[in-house]
Amino acid sequence: MNPMLEAALWFWIPLCLIPVGIWFTISGKTKSLGKVIALSGLILVMISSWTVPDSDSSAGGHLILSIIAPTLLLAYGIHGMVFGGNVPVGRLDSSARWSGTIAVFVSIGIFCLMHWYSFTPVWRNGEVNPYWIVFWPTFLLFSTSLCSASSVALATYGDDRFTESMKLASLSILMTGISLAAMIFDGYLTTADQFRDYLWLSAADIFGTVVGGSLAIGALAVVIWSYEKSLPIPQSSPPPTDEEIEHVVSLATSHIGGEEE
Amino acid sequence: MRQSSSSWRLLILAALLPILVLVAIDVSLDNNSHPESFKRFGNAVLTSYIIVGLILIGNLFFYADSRHRPSAPFVGMFFALAIGMLIGWALISQGDLLLEANSGLRAQMLSNVVHLLVSGTAMLVASLLAVGFTFAAITGRERRILFEEE
Repeated sequence: MNPMLEAALWFWIPLCLIPVGIWFTISGKTKSLGKVIALSGLILVMISSWTVPDSDSSAGGHLILSIIAPTLLLAYGIHGMVFGGNVPVGRLDSSARWSGTIAVFVSIGIFCLMHWYSFTPVWRNGEVNPYWIVFWPTFLLFSTSLCSASSVALATYGDDRFTESMKLASLSILMTGISLAAMIFDGYLTTADQFRDYLWLSAADIFGTVVGGSLAIGALAVVIWSYEKSLPIPQSSPPPTDEEIEHVVSLATSHIGGEEE
Repeated sequence: MRQSSSSWRLLILAALLPILVLVAIDVSLDNNSHPESFKRFGNAVLTSYIIVGLILIGNLFFYADSRHRPSAPFVGMFFALAIGMLIGWALISQGDLLLEANSGLRAQMLSNVVHLLVSGTAMLVASLLAVGFTFAAITGRERRILFEEE
């Protein structure tokens, strides 16, 4: 089969199926079908390094497969931490908070081991997955930035939230420390020089993605605004008749009662 | 109003500062910037504009039931997206301007999409960590007594 057709069939079409499945799920019409489509698409993308090993794009799918376990552990930990606390609904046992905290730090530890130990995602011929060095600095930079922003937001907008703000600032400092360590010490299959190079590219990536996404949202806002502006002003409905007023008054009186003390 | 706008500035500064500090340390260690940074920024802007635009068009379609699917916003958004694609095609075709270590226009565009998939996943996982930890910090505090009974 033509390599391009093979890549389209086993990587690009499944990749397109993920948002289509999510749209179906969110629209609420065919929720189960949407979930099945999105999940099948994701699985096909993740196994693309076996289905289309010759395609360079399959390295992206291979990386997602490599990070799925620590990501799920992170999600499990976050769920336990949030719902093990003081929440009005869906509260878990208080031990979930501790197990969640351990799970979150273990998942961060696994990500670190993927950089400094033999867990590094290996793709072709024993070489590191080229997208690992894209994922790792982007994750570190973005989490540092978001934790710092959340910490300031809690301190600024929250009422007496200094302790919580300090926890988030500590996490931001931890992620900064990991980034600094990666800038100084070589990884298992990548060097500190490579990491420093890709840190620049990650910063460019983050700013570029935010700017591009904001431009697209801005374009949509302009399109919707101009469309709504072009619509004719809706006609005023006629005033209520005497019968309708009487009906409303009778309903109101039947619901307002009570005796004077 | 003034306090609100200054809080927003503080928030943006808090988000940017760690990135700028790390990049500044990076510059001080290597004493130069990465030559491909601008290309990566340009490619990221164009790719995320096109991909987010496509996702928004999908949302327009799936959420337009209550509005009898008006065609005007679709046409407008397709036009906005077509301009983005045209600019992307024109800039990547311009030799060395946005072309990274790829053989040609098609390879660069496909590589951009996979790159966005990976960096988007990284940002998503980072958001999960930061937002989740924020909520965990908020719900972790013991419930406070707001009013004492007289």
